[in-house]
Amino acid sequence: MIEFKRVSKKYPTGQLALYNVNLRLDAGEMVFLTGVSGAGKSTLLKLIARLERPSEGHILIGGKTLKLLSDQQIPSYRRNIGFIYQDPHLLDDQSVFDNVALPLKIAGISDDEIQHRTQAALEKVDLKNKSTRSPQMLSAGERQRVGIARAVVNKPTIILADEPTGNLDPKLAEDIMNTFAQFNELGTTVLIASHDHALIEQMNKRTIVLQKVEN
Amino acid sequence: MSKKNTQKNSSNKRTQKTNKKKQKNQVTTTTPLTAWINQHRNSIKFSSQRLWLNPFSTWMTLAVIALALALPTGLHILLKNLSSVASNDGENRASTISLFLKPSVTAQRALDRSELLSERSEISSAKLITKDQAIENFKHIQGFKEILATIGGNPLPHVIAISPDLSVIAESGQTIEGFAKSLKNESDVDNVQIDLEWVQRLRAILNIAERVTLVIATLLGITVLLVVGNTIRLNISGKKREIEIIQLIGATNHYIRRPFLYEGVWYGFFGGILSLVIVHFSLLFIVAPVETLAKLYDSEFVISGVGIIIMLKLLFSSALLGLAGAWIAVGRHLQQQSKRMNR
Repeated sequence: MIEFKRVSKKYPTGQLALYNVNLRLDAGEMVFLTGVSGAGKSTLLKLIARLERPSEGHILIGGKTLKLLSDQQIPSYRRNIGFIYQDPHLLDDQSVFDNVALPLKIAGISDDEIQHRTQAALEKVDLKNKSTRSPQMLSAGERQRVGIARAVVNKPTIILADEPTGNLDPKLAEDIMNTFAQFNELGTTVLIASHDHALIEQMNKRTIVLQKVEN
Repeated sequence: MSKKNTQKNSSNKRTQKTNKKKQKNQVTTTTPLTAWINQHRNSIKFSSQRLWLNPFSTWMTLAVIALALALPTGLHILLKNLSSVASNDGENRASTISLFLKPSVTAQRALDRSELLSERSEISSAKLITKDQAIENFKHIQGFKEILATIGGNPLPHVIAISPDLSVIAESGQTIEGFAKSLKNESDVDNVQIDLEWVQRLRAILNIAERVTLVIATLLGITVLLVVGNTIRLNISGKKREIEIIQLIGATNHYIRRPFLYEGVWYGFFGGILSLVIVHFSLLFIVAPVETLAKLYDSEFVISGVGIIIMLKLLFSSALLGLAGAWIAVGRHLQQQSKRMNR
């Protein structure tokens, strides 16, 4: 479903983040992406989400080349991807509910459906009782779970998570990984960039190791 | 310098197969029309809330827009009123020819003469001012009361104030002077005085004033466009992070642009309403002195206010200007952002 063919990424600054990467993820698979800092984990995820463009090579999603997507097609493509960042990128002037409901509003879903699906997503991450709060009033773990709920509320086919447990204690990190595993059980492809080897071992899933390119 | 990826553990193939089946049930469809309506409804709600929740900046912007729109609107209405005074037809027209009747003519005969004249096609209206009415008017002018007292009796003649129909006179190949001369030949008429010069001057001034108003309206229209554009630009700056986040989630440029466009329309529309209120109260303020002035010119002129057509035109134009200002501001931001992302 996700395929990289000889993909390289060089930033305008001259930094070579990825070189000649080949990989394949099947639909419904849960995979960990690991490697040292600067190995290009985040870049690889951004390439899949089409937040960056490869300098060389091809990325195929569901058999279609990502390069051929026009600027107008990118938003609808992104709506099929749930991206979770280390900093969950929440809107602090909006409630937890409104943050999670954002992808549904963008998709033009009706208010009733938004209510139903947002509550369901918040229930999955165990934050239903905090839906009216501002994200500023939540702990780091809770904020991360709001980010996860927002990423999954639109029922994406792919979940990309960039160091989702980076700021969390081991217990919370485990809980969040289990949440990802639950979504994967429902058929969602999950790709998680992490350097928490103990947690990766514990999850017992396929792991892709990226090695840092010597510039 | 190669990048190596290592597949550490093989995934569970059976789980993947069942997952593929489950994925098919994940897609929830919303028709494009319903989605479009929902997005517009959200944008209207969101943009209105933003104005409502920032009352100080909203009122400041609306006041600037209203003042910018009130000036050309007020000038336009004044010119429209003055044009009706200077025009050939209409109730506001001022008399331009005065027929002084012979002293021997009685009031009844003067009235009959006035009615006869008013039936002529070249004359729009003929109004009799009897010698008694004339002396009463004189008495109200400072200093004349004493003078009239020393004279004793009433030396004034009956006067018929005529408003000629200039277009009919022109069609018949006559000049206004020729027509006035023909009136002098009427029986009972002692003297004729043409008072047309001021109307012609007024028309010339109005022609200039109309062009000046057009220039002012254009410049102030551009001002409204810039004010709205700048306000929206500031709002975009305050929402930069939000815009970036919703773009990451999959918002289209249309989705991002929409609430700002509605905001621009609201600024223009409500600014237009406020400008109408300003113009209305300004007109109320000058109604009394204008009526006094009109009476001095023997006219029944009453200043007319903002009609429904002008009102609709103004609101439509101001909303359109707001929309254009917002469109430019958001368009520029999205263009810059697109350049940054494609670098």
